[in-house]
Amino acid sequence: MLDFGAISLEGGTMLFQLIVFLVLIFLVSRFAMKPAMAVMEKRRQHVANEIETAERSRQEAEALLAEQRRLLDEARLEAKEILDRVTKQANDEAARIVEEAKASADRLKAEARAELAREVEKAKAELRDQMAGLSVMLASKIIEKELDEAAQKASIDQFLKQVGDRL
Amino acid sequence: MGHHYSPRFEWAGMVFDIPTMIMTVVTSLIVFLLILGLTRNLTAGVPGGAQNFLEWLIEFVKGIAMNFMDAKTAAKFVTLGLTLFLYILIGNQLGVILNVNTAHYEVSESFMDMLTVSNTAEEAAEKRAHIEHELAEGHPIHVAWWKSPTATASVTFTLAIFVLLYAHYLGLKKGPGSYFKHYFEPNPGIFPLHVLEEFVIKPLTLPLRLFGNIFAGEVLIVFLLSAGLLASPALAVWLAYSVFVGAIQAFIFTTLTMVYISQKVSHH
Repeated sequence: MLDFGAISLEGGTMLFQLIVFLVLIFLVSRFAMKPAMAVMEKRRQHVANEIETAERSRQEAEALLAEQRRLLDEARLEAKEILDRVTKQANDEAARIVEEAKASADRLKAEARAELAREVEKAKAELRDQMAGLSVMLASKIIEKELDEAAQKASIDQFLKQVGDRL
Repeated sequence: MGHHYSPRFEWAGMVFDIPTMIMTVVTSLIVFLLILGLTRNLTAGVPGGAQNFLEWLIEFVKGIAMNFMDAKTAAKFVTLGLTLFLYILIGNQLGVILNVNTAHYEVSESFMDMLTVSNTAEEAAEKRAHIEHELAEGHPIHVAWWKSPTATASVTFTLAIFVLLYAHYLGLKKGPGSYFKHYFEPNPGIFPLHVLEEFVIKPLTLPLRLFGNIFAGEVLIVFLLSAGLLASPALAVWLAYSVFVGAIQAFIFTTLTMVYISQKVSHH
């Protein structure tokens, strides 16, 4: 024991103080630091995890967005291609149909014209035939008249009779 | 104001101071109960008020240590720092909040033995004669039962010597070579100064700074209390200042502890 009045160091008090303080350190460690550090570490990890997850989600979202954008562009391009192709096809088809219709019409016209020509030709031929017959008939009648009035008369009568028979 | 005597007893060749031991236990109990209160319902989620305060305290002490060490090393000494800080802080305030003194106009024989415990019979006889003289004059013998434990040199010296020995132990454990080499750096001629610093200056300044501040503060509080009603404004100011000094001294002691430890565990 050191004794300087107010400042005195007593071995027993010091030993007691040391023991109590060591116990207190143990209690603080056991009841404060260990559980507090555990929850703080847990929270730190939780926060780190959350940040990591958020970062990952953001990257995923970005990748997805890019993918979607790409797909949309592709779809748009494809749609445009299809539309172009269909339009072209439709135009071609329309042109073909018109062409065909034109050809068909031309053919029909030609046919009609040919038929007409043929009919005209046929009528002409028939007319020619009839004209020839009539001419011959007329000629023979004229000839007959000159030859014999009586006979002509008779032949006219006959002719009339013939006509009358026909009628 | 009469001279203060303290009841002591001798056991196994050692002297124990009873009021100091009481205050040591009281302070430790308050620190422990505070810790228990703060650590109820700990959660890794959003912390409540008590947990916030505890985490703030831990971060505060860790912040002190991290001024002098890297984060990983600092983390090892947070428990010691937190215990020191809370013990000294609360201990300092206990004597500001309350002083329990008893005045004895008569002293029984067994109590007289407790008040006069000394190293030698001559000293004991001297003290006894002094007490008997005071009592014969009609002056009471004052015994302080409730005071700051840190207003007792035994307590501050124990804390200081403990942390200084711990720092030396850490230095030796880390590397005896570099520990001893440090005494001869930067010049072998500096060796006596290093020894003086490590084994005289630090073990004296660290405990005496704390003890001096708190003891002087309490002496003045007791003086102002005894000065009567007129001293009340001064007492109020001094009490407020003592609370501030108590907090500052706790901070300084913890900070210096971290400095001394860092000197032994950090590479230079």
